[in-house]
Amino acid sequence: MNPGSMAEPPPLETLGLCKQYPGVRALKDVSISFRAGEVHALIGKNGAGKSTLVKILTGAVQPASGTVAMAGVPVAFPSPRAALRRGIAAVHQELSLVPELTVAENVFLGHPPTKWAGLAVDAQKTTHMAADLLAEMGLHLSVTRKARELGVAEQQVVEIAKAMSRHPKALLLDEPTSALAREEVDGLFALIRRLAGQGVVILYITHRLQELQQIADRISVLRNGELAAQFTGDEASAERIAQAMFGEFMPVRVGPPETVTDEVILETRNLQTETGVRDASLTLRRGEILGIAGLLGSGRTELLRAIAGVDFVSGGDITVAGRVIKRVSLATMRKAGVVLVPEDRQAEGLVPALSVGDNICLASLRSNACGGVILRKRRAEAIARSVRELAIGTTDVDAPVSSLSGGNQQKVVIAGRLNARPQVVLFDEPTRGIDVQAKQQIFDILRHLSREGIGSALVSSELEELLEVCHRIAIMRGGRIEDEVIPAGTSPRALLERCMRIEKAAPLGKDTVNELA
Amino acid sequence: MNWRDIKAITAKSTLEIVLVLTCIILSVTAPHFLSIENLLNVLRSVSVQGLLAFGMTMVIIAGEIDLSVASSVALAGCLVAYLTQAGIPLALGIPMTVLTGASFGVFTGVVRVKWEVPSFISTLALYLSLKGLALLITGGFPIASFPDWYHILGGGYVLGVPFPALIFLAVFAAIAFVMKRTVFGQAVYAVGGNAEAARLSGINVAFVRIMVFAITGALAAVSGIMLSARIMSGTPTVAVGWELDAIAAVIVGGTSFAGGIGTVWGTLVGVVFIGVIINGMTLLDVSSSHQFVMRGMLIFAAVWLNRLQEKRK
Repeated sequence: MNPGSMAEPPPLETLGLCKQYPGVRALKDVSISFRAGEVHALIGKNGAGKSTLVKILTGAVQPASGTVAMAGVPVAFPSPRAALRRGIAAVHQELSLVPELTVAENVFLGHPPTKWAGLAVDAQKTTHMAADLLAEMGLHLSVTRKARELGVAEQQVVEIAKAMSRHPKALLLDEPTSALAREEVDGLFALIRRLAGQGVVILYITHRLQELQQIADRISVLRNGELAAQFTGDEASAERIAQAMFGEFMPVRVGPPETVTDEVILETRNLQTETGVRDASLTLRRGEILGIAGLLGSGRTELLRAIAGVDFVSGGDITVAGRVIKRVSLATMRKAGVVLVPEDRQAEGLVPALSVGDNICLASLRSNACGGVILRKRRAEAIARSVRELAIGTTDVDAPVSSLSGGNQQKVVIAGRLNARPQVVLFDEPTRGIDVQAKQQIFDILRHLSREGIGSALVSSELEELLEVCHRIAIMRGGRIEDEVIPAGTSPRALLERCMRIEKAAPLGKDTVNELA
Repeated sequence: MNWRDIKAITAKSTLEIVLVLTCIILSVTAPHFLSIENLLNVLRSVSVQGLLAFGMTMVIIAGEIDLSVASSVALAGCLVAYLTQAGIPLALGIPMTVLTGASFGVFTGVVRVKWEVPSFISTLALYLSLKGLALLITGGFPIASFPDWYHILGGGYVLGVPFPALIFLAVFAAIAFVMKRTVFGQAVYAVGGNAEAARLSGINVAFVRIMVFAITGALAAVSGIMLSARIMSGTPTVAVGWELDAIAAVIVGGTSFAGGIGTVWGTLVGVVFIGVIINGMTLLDVSSSHQFVMRGMLIFAAVWLNRLQEKRK
């Protein structure tokens, strides 16, 4: 970092960017320079200004003041197209491939090679160019496969190839690992390194702080819209990152409360589904937080969905509080007191158009009603209680739920489930994509449930999380529960090894990963 | 009240304000607009058709569409006339007709739920079949079998208010209450906003979908009965294009075509607004060709306004 030197100006930099939204100062005087060939991580809590910065760099919003400069020349991005034309490509968290098109067609979507004076897409050339591009990126993926046949990791890679097809000077990756299993992440990192080696600026946005040392050359930390700190990847200790993000100490590791009873609240025997659960047997006691670990594709989500009655159970049985459930369905499991906090809160947990309060009441409409008519006072009280108890950060429960941050949206989903007065709560990746503080609050909710005598099952890809919050961790491999560990004295690494013991690689994106490793 | 409050209220009630302004302008420019007789006339003319819009509001909020309602209206009129001709008393014939209308809705709902046939397609098919059915049972000609008193249902007055208008307002109140204040109403919004999230929340999505079509079918039948009472015959060729008018009123009233967003109140305002405009143009001697053009532009303008507001949010 030596701005005064004779070195040529950085390929991309921001100079004093400011942006206000009504009532919020999203960015204040943010100046960051990005160097060619570096992986530059951008971190910060939700609301710290990351997404605003990203939106400015990709032309989605305009800064109130300040400029973006490329190679020392100020540039303006009036639209995302303009940013793309200037060489800033972004890969967003949501995968957006067109399922019916091939890999090659997806890669060149919007700018395919043409023939007949631009009248027709040159299919052959598309295929060749895509194959060349993937080879250049060090990937061996059949470009003639359709996008819908790809696993998540492969789709992610194709998204990156799509961005690279524009020959960008800067590539912006927004939480690229959020849907990937560990060993797939390694493959992705190798790819990112190679792209950086080609001289591309990589902007890497993540919530997974443990990734930073592995992937980032430099880290910029945003807090309250300002650049709070900047350091190199080597200097990025957990304490230092946490301090920069929060301006205070890291939350301490609390561990689960001593609340486990002997009473079994949920038991599954030899559970089978067509979605890939095979012979899964587990027990959950009152007051227990049971972690479920396993690689992506090991059947964790499918197991929870089966127990909640979402997916069809083709064999085995489920016992709740000593009673075998005859016909497992959403309705019968709900009646037995089993609820699911689904994996994808946007698609499965929330109704975005409805208000915060409506969403809180969604899973327990009848409990605030008499003869089908909603009792408004009781409903308002229930909403206020949920907001208070779960510390949902909102000032207006009539505002659309989509206006909340990810962490608060997740709390709304959980609040809705808890209002149904469950015996067992199944949490599927409840902390995905939410900031560290919200994570701790979700853990607090888990601990609180545990003290109330509710049994919780927690699926998470973040093994540290399971070790921190669970009483016991069941390990799934190939649709079965194969192993079990007690968190005390277990390291994340040891847990990961036991998750991988039989399958060496997850079925998703196997060929890509092997190629990359 | 400061400037910001005023701004907030105008943003929230744009259509209502435009409606009031339109009425003020018309009462100055159009002869006889501001007479009780004319206003009741507006209410009477919108009410038979307006019933459909309330059902359609529920259907659209639930994320569906019902293109069969106009045929349902025609068929209901013919059916009640046919039953009367066959000697069945109206006290029996009317409920039977309403139930038949509801059962067509149930059919659409079941097809939607069981076989996942998009309602656009199934109701398009139903639209044709019901139209044909109406022609079949009448033989293509109006059946004038009603006793004289039947006219009250379509053209009569109760305490000075047209009977259809009373039904119209009662249905408005009932559906507005259901949508705003009941568990079922909340479930309709949830299903339209995100069906999967609603399902995982324990809401009976299938029941909601079937019910909204059933209610809409029943309302179409009621509308058809009132229409047959106004013209005193079961006529198979009436109500052509009413489904689109209903959809237009719903959209003008601010309901989102994507589902999950909208109010029954908005639809009421939409129906009345379109009715007032048509009435005003008639009083001002605007030709019916011009009226169609104006109505089309009106829909554009309303949707455009909605978009503007959403964007500002």
